[in-house]
Amino acid sequence: MSSINRRETLQFLLAAGGMAGLSNAGLAASQDPVFAAYEAASANDPWTLIVRDAPAAGFQGEARLIRGAMPRGLAGTLFRNGPGRFSRQGWRYRHWFDGDGFIQSWQIGENGVSHRGRFTETDKWVAEEAAGRFLTPGFGSLPPNDIGTSGPDDMNVANTSVIMVGDELLALWEGGSAWSLDPDTLESRGARRWGSGLDGVPFSAHPKVDPATGMVWNFGSDPFNGRLVIWQVGADGSLINAGLVDGVPGGMIHDFVITERSLVFLVGSYRYQGGGETFNGNFAFENDTPMMAIAIDKSDWSKRRVWEMDPGFLFHFGGAWESVDGEIVLDAALSPEARFVTRGAEAIMRGAPEGEDSSQTRHHLIRLQPGGRVSSEVYSADFIEFPQVDPRFVGRQRDLTWHIAWDESRERGATRIERRNLATGARDSFDHGPQTYVEEPLFIPTRGGREGEGWIVHTALNANDRRTELHIFNALNLADGPLASWQLDYACPFGFHGCWRQA
Amino acid sequence: MFNLISTLLVSASLMSVSAEEAPVELTLEIQGISPSEGTLMIAVFDSRDAWDGGAPVRGMRASVDGETLSALIEALPPGRYGVKMYHDVNGNGELDTNMMGMPSEPFAFSNNARGRFGPASWSDAAFELSADAPVHSISFQ
Repeated sequence: MSSINRRETLQFLLAAGGMAGLSNAGLAASQDPVFAAYEAASANDPWTLIVRDAPAAGFQGEARLIRGAMPRGLAGTLFRNGPGRFSRQGWRYRHWFDGDGFIQSWQIGENGVSHRGRFTETDKWVAEEAAGRFLTPGFGSLPPNDIGTSGPDDMNVANTSVIMVGDELLALWEGGSAWSLDPDTLESRGARRWGSGLDGVPFSAHPKVDPATGMVWNFGSDPFNGRLVIWQVGADGSLINAGLVDGVPGGMIHDFVITERSLVFLVGSYRYQGGGETFNGNFAFENDTPMMAIAIDKSDWSKRRVWEMDPGFLFHFGGAWESVDGEIVLDAALSPEARFVTRGAEAIMRGAPEGEDSSQTRHHLIRLQPGGRVSSEVYSADFIEFPQVDPRFVGRQRDLTWHIAWDESRERGATRIERRNLATGARDSFDHGPQTYVEEPLFIPTRGGREGEGWIVHTALNANDRRTELHIFNALNLADGPLASWQLDYACPFGFHGCWRQA
Repeated sequence: MFNLISTLLVSASLMSVSAEEAPVELTLEIQGISPSEGTLMIAVFDSRDAWDGGAPVRGMRASVDGETLSALIEALPPGRYGVKMYHDVNGNGELDTNMMGMPSEPFAFSNNARGRFGPASWSDAAFELSADAPVHSISFQ
């Protein structure tokens, strides 16, 4: 028996350290039930690809034309944003909304369709890539041994939406800064700075662009203090104004609509309670709390009109307009409660649809009338999400909304793309069939033209082929099916929202 | 006699307590300071109540000259302490905030503790100061 020398001792200690790390990782993988559940589900169910981890290096590929031909006059880039990284070291996020922002660009033109995917290099992404593990709490998850945060941008995943402002591509989240990207390379340029006192102030994921002026209106929500931030940005990206509006209940406000006169918010009954370890953990659905509609005067943010509605919840609007007598008409995807946020989006992370329909969203037309009266009608018992409008009619009276649609027979999600005429109720619909899960449809207008003249572009997961597809429709004739379809030779995680950059 | 023994025991215990509680100078080794200008404003707290809104037991300012700084805090009785500090980059004597009241200048707590949706808690930030452990390191992250 011989004693080990100092060098050997060091090697032994280093090896032991390495072993310890390995066994910890092994332990985490075998012990994390969410990671294990997703691994098991994804072995058999290709639908689970919608929440796969994208490779850290991203994607680059050419799409193959599988149907039709490129419509003449359509050329540009479809940008889409969504969560793309859900697990590290054998531990998986609990909530779909936690994943790191992954930007996809689809370059569409005469030469075909090329695709690229890249993670937004947020401070969080860079720190966690270096550490090899999740470090900060998320929207709905608390990773093991998290190190807390010093502010919202520490945990900013920039994973929700995307918008072109001037020549700049902004990746948007709900709780903190917009993240600035180069639209050609998707390289990150850091948190968007608007001016003194505005660093880290939330810039939400659904800005609205006035079609006449190009003015960008947006908001940020501060549920901790019951107030909103209002943003007014010029078409060139310069800040015009930003300010606080107090007395707005913390309702997890995700989207809003504009009219020519007002900024309109629906504050759902999923309300801030405090005391949560995660952001989402601070909220609970209050069965008896009415949904609240608030219209803030664009020219004087201290002026507001308020309406009370039945309890409920929403993420997304179609659009809105306001008549001269002050009636506001809007359409939105409303649900009676918020179970999807608390349960459904967690079930998806385990690779299993929850199969409930109590919090699925239906298409409502709502009239906020003078004197506090509200009327609401539902177009169909079917479920809809991601309502979209012709951008030339944002804030203006219009007839058309495009959206995804499904019913109880599609527990894994939507397979239909639809157009609804708000005035007549008429429906135009195309169903890709039970194995093609569709994502948000984006309306791309032709030059000039009446409302609805243009194309609908959407991506989808073809679960049979395990590949992501891109489909282009005549926006006024969905029922005839895609004018053209392309397919990648890989599957991408689902995105949430997109935007279009005209070539 | 009994009284004498008792008195001796009490004195001995008092002596030993006072020997243990000889005040200790606290050295804060501070890293990750950026930019290399302005002032660090440092406050030391000795209880949860003080941490949660009371007065600090020590306060000091230190001029920044580089990425690291060693701050010597006037002697304190051994015990549990917490440190809050911020980097007054523009030297206006205040922790600047954004429109919503969130700090826009760097700040840090002892144990490098960070909160989740607010400042770090006393239980995460408190550390033991003793003659054997007179140095505490904090990094701006």
